[in-house]
Amino acid sequence: MKNSSKKLNLTPQVEFSPEKDVFIRARQKGTRRWILAHLFYKHNKFYIFTILFLTLLTANLNALTFIFLGIAINEFVAGNSSNLLFYVILILIFGVSSPILRFANSMLREVLAQRIERDVRKEFFANLLGKSQSFHDRQKMGEVMARATDDVRMLNFLISPAVSLIIESFTALIIPIIYIALFLPSQLFLAPIIFVVIFLILLKDYVRKLTPVTMMMRTKFGQMNAVLNETLTGIDVVKGSNQEEYEMKKYYRKIKSYRDAYVKQGQIQAKYLPILFLAILITVGLIHAIYLFTLNQINIGQIITYLGLMSTLRFPTFISIFIFAIVKNAKISSDRLLDFMNEETLIDENPEGVEKLLEGNIKFENVSFSYAKNGRPVLQNISFEIKPGQTVAIVGTTGSGKTTLTKLLSRLYDVDKGKILVDGVDVRDYALNSLRNQISYIEQDVFLFSDTIFSNISFGRTSSLEDIINVAREAQAHEFISSFPNGYDSEVGERGVQLSGGERQRIAIARAFLTDPRILVLDDSTSAIDSATEDKIQEAISKVLKNRTTILITHRLSQIRWSDLIIVLKRGEIVAEGTHEELLKSSEEYRKIFVKRFDVSLDQLLKGEEKV
Amino acid sequence: MWYGLEAEEYQKEYKDKDLLKRIFKYFRPYRKEFAIVTLFLTLSSLTYASIPILISIAITNLGANLEPIYVVSVIILIFCLNFLGWIFSYFRQKYTAVIIGNIVLDVRQSANAAVIDRDLSFFDKYPIGKIVSRVNSDSRDFGETVELTMQVISSLFIILFLLIVMVFINPFLASIFMVSIPLFFVVALTFRKVARRLTLLGQRALASVNAYVKESFGGIQIAKTFRQESKLYKKFKEVNNQSYSVNLKRGIFMFSVFPALSIVQGVIFALIIYYGGSFIISGQISPGELYLFIQSLAYLFFPLLVIAAFWPQFQLGLAASERIFTLIDESPAVVQSNDIKPKRLEGQIEFKNLTFQYEENRKIFDDFSLTIHPGEALAIVGHTGAGKSSLANLIARFYEFQGGDILIDGTSIREFDLKEYRKQIGIIPQSPFLWDASIKKNVKYSRRDATDTEINDALDQAGGADWVKDLNNGIRTKVGERGNLISMGQRQLVVFARTLLENPAILILDEATASVDPFTETRIQDALEKTIKDRTSIIIAHRLWTVRHVDRIIVLEQGKIVEEGSHDYLMAQGGTYANLYNTYFRHQSLSYLDKVKEIKQRSS
Repeated sequence: MKNSSKKLNLTPQVEFSPEKDVFIRARQKGTRRWILAHLFYKHNKFYIFTILFLTLLTANLNALTFIFLGIAINEFVAGNSSNLLFYVILILIFGVSSPILRFANSMLREVLAQRIERDVRKEFFANLLGKSQSFHDRQKMGEVMARATDDVRMLNFLISPAVSLIIESFTALIIPIIYIALFLPSQLFLAPIIFVVIFLILLKDYVRKLTPVTMMMRTKFGQMNAVLNETLTGIDVVKGSNQEEYEMKKYYRKIKSYRDAYVKQGQIQAKYLPILFLAILITVGLIHAIYLFTLNQINIGQIITYLGLMSTLRFPTFISIFIFAIVKNAKISSDRLLDFMNEETLIDENPEGVEKLLEGNIKFENVSFSYAKNGRPVLQNISFEIKPGQTVAIVGTTGSGKTTLTKLLSRLYDVDKGKILVDGVDVRDYALNSLRNQISYIEQDVFLFSDTIFSNISFGRTSSLEDIINVAREAQAHEFISSFPNGYDSEVGERGVQLSGGERQRIAIARAFLTDPRILVLDDSTSAIDSATEDKIQEAISKVLKNRTTILITHRLSQIRWSDLIIVLKRGEIVAEGTHEELLKSSEEYRKIFVKRFDVSLDQLLKGEEKV
Repeated sequence: MWYGLEAEEYQKEYKDKDLLKRIFKYFRPYRKEFAIVTLFLTLSSLTYASIPILISIAITNLGANLEPIYVVSVIILIFCLNFLGWIFSYFRQKYTAVIIGNIVLDVRQSANAAVIDRDLSFFDKYPIGKIVSRVNSDSRDFGETVELTMQVISSLFIILFLLIVMVFINPFLASIFMVSIPLFFVVALTFRKVARRLTLLGQRALASVNAYVKESFGGIQIAKTFRQESKLYKKFKEVNNQSYSVNLKRGIFMFSVFPALSIVQGVIFALIIYYGGSFIISGQISPGELYLFIQSLAYLFFPLLVIAAFWPQFQLGLAASERIFTLIDESPAVVQSNDIKPKRLEGQIEFKNLTFQYEENRKIFDDFSLTIHPGEALAIVGHTGAGKSSLANLIARFYEFQGGDILIDGTSIREFDLKEYRKQIGIIPQSPFLWDASIKKNVKYSRRDATDTEINDALDQAGGADWVKDLNNGIRTKVGERGNLISMGQRQLVVFARTLLENPAILILDEATASVDPFTETRIQDALEKTIKDRTSIIIAHRLWTVRHVDRIIVLEQGKIVEEGSHDYLMAQGGTYANLYNTYFRHQSLSYLDKVKEIKQRSS
């Protein structure tokens, strides 16, 4: 487990079979190379070549049918009935075996298509898992979803049916012409040759016109997803603010422009010229054949063979209307996927880096950081030191950079300037695994997975139910969990039990307890828990504090008071540090933050005191 | 383990007839366009059908050694018909695109309206990823099906014309065709039922993948800090593999219908040759006429093969339309029985013998009664899970209650026009949600006509606007998806400002000050004291010092009021509230702090 997850960050695919490096390299070389890498990956090659072979075989069978048909008709016209049954059986054999070949063919292509869809989605997912947090902060959920599902699906459609139909189209264009050249007066292949040339030229023009519209439709579809997703995520705000109509209009604008692109696409498809030219050239071919007939160079049977072979050109002509849109879509989708996957992962997981049991000494040296390049600095020139086992409180007004500071510690982001040392080693020199495994967060906005409570608590470390119950007890969560009908197996969230903010937070605390981290970061975590529970939790937290370094982002006096060190942040800079008593004396800023609160609560505080 | 393959609760089974009826309903507004399409469809089918007939005539006449002028004029006719046919089908396709584009637009709009109309219990139950895919992707699949259907209809028209001509030429050979048609339908219909089931499964498997991706990257930060990417990856592979095997099964099954139909074609072809051949030998028909039959076979099978080749899409579309109609037809749990449009509410709220539960057998309230007076500031305190937030949800009418009633100014909450009613309710929810837009847009979300001055005032009132001025672009700063580019406290401030701008008659604060620093909190507290003056306010709070000045405090315990009264009164009673209060302030008291310090020192 440890080994496998170690490689996950940068190139997670490697963990399963090293050959998949193929994809990573191919991704660098562009979309086409990448698609090809998938097409020819391992067994996929076999599928491709078999499909090619079977398609050729089928096309030959079909062409032969028309040859024999012509010969048969000539015999019928001559009044020769002796071979009738022979021809019929021959045609029957052809007519039945070709669908069977087709079936084998489509089975193969379906397997191939589904395999590629599965593998690409897996590749994409693994790649996203390996991306840094700053990457994920920039992404809109709707866009990620559109890529993981629809864009990946387009690659399925690229194989089934697009690529196999293209193969079929090409054979359907070439094989009849070869047969005409071989079995009929050779000048008859003039009409189909002219057609093929015109067809290819017109097709190119058609694809050129269709491409921007196809792209437009894809973009609009992504936007539709993003808008709707956001609206539904904030549905309580929509309803509470009575903005249903506004949201519907917003969505309507997106679906309307999608509709316009769709209609435009319809018009371009309607103007598809090759159909007209095919009809014209079949007529020209007919004239040509009739002319040769009057010269007695061919007979009726041959005319029918000829027209039959010509009619097989219908297939590639018609199918090309749709196929290239699918191909184009797949190309666009692949581009979008590659744009995502090729983006630099700023944080290197550094598997070769330092791995050791941390003592918990933390030192910030002149650290500066901003989320965007050249953006407003969130932290500026931060320096401080925490000794192993100390508890440090970070206080400051909203947006002063408290949360950001803790995120730098476990390298969710990397510093722009300066460095962060843990036990004297730069955090960037640690193996990410070793570092993150020993730092735990209890975040302020608790995220729980739609899974059982058991799985949520054991998320950071696989454990027995006994251990889980123990940490849940410590986090004061055992009682309410036991009250659910399914206890620890209760599902959380969308399909399961409804948890209040306080309950969620206690689960998060249990989750962090379980990993027994060397460094614990508590981000305002108990603010949503009501007083009675808080009382217990305070005790629990003070238990968990022992023997580990703890950073508290908090405004609770109680928590601040028992910290060994308090750091006061203002607009990304440290304006004061020291113990509570020191700061009250020395720091104007610190006093300013608390003086009002003291005033309000001083008398209450004394009153409360009397009753305790 | 199967993920999400079971039928969702809101999955209705439609009969084909009803499904078609529903689909036709959407065609109704486009009757005119539909008439145009039908006209051009008929015309183009007629012209295209007559071309093989003419070719057959030309070939037949070759044997008869007729006047060349006759042959030439037939050929010129074929030329002209080809042009005409192309032009006709151009118009057909153009208008078809318009119709389908509009229908899909309509379907999406009504699906969106239906979803937005749902009460919150719907969103608690179903992942947003699945709903989005239903509204957007399913409607697209539905559109593709309609498009396909129209193409098939046009091909069927051609067959019909050809059949008529063939009956005239040779009724016996024509009857072989007739026999094959029901055979086709038998094959196709047998496939249909299974195909539909498999398609539904396939779609659900994919929707599960969708939902799982959404969740994984929603929780990516947790996964990263716990270094458990591999855990997510492992489960993803299961979900993904499930989708693979389900969809592969579907795919293979779908594509087997195509060869099955082709075998029928092969047999019919052989029969035509057998009988046609003997008719040529006996002189009953000409080779040209046999050519017509062979060509017609292709014409006949083409549309059927198209159906078969695009069978997956066809099935996908039917299943998709079924899902989307279920979504539209579902009746919401929250239903208003009247549409009284209230003027400015006085703000009296009365819970009468209320029963409420989110899920079966886990009652939140049972026979709960409480009256909140107009203009009163009421604080609700109590343990987590006591039902505090549920009260807020019920007043906002986000959920339907099961028994009793809620009266607002003496009128049942069910009788209001929901929109007008909600206009007067302001809610500051537990976790602040912001739109991916500027701060300005977020603040004026519920009052779009607000001026910049008003917005700044609202921000100022909500604990000060100085932090906004510090941002690069001031109130035009973008906050990112769900507001994640600004801090939690800042998000709270924006939400507070948004609510203030609404000037609601009833204000509900659900732990709204939880994540704001004390400095800002004090400012909000001041603002709050001003704000609650001319309205009914309900404050759900854990920070007890924020509620000391309200008119009345009620203490909830497991959905029951265990105490109520003013702060002083409750403190004097020395009951649950006093206990809670003391516990809370004990944390702030010096002796408690020393005790904790002691514990800490002992343990280290």
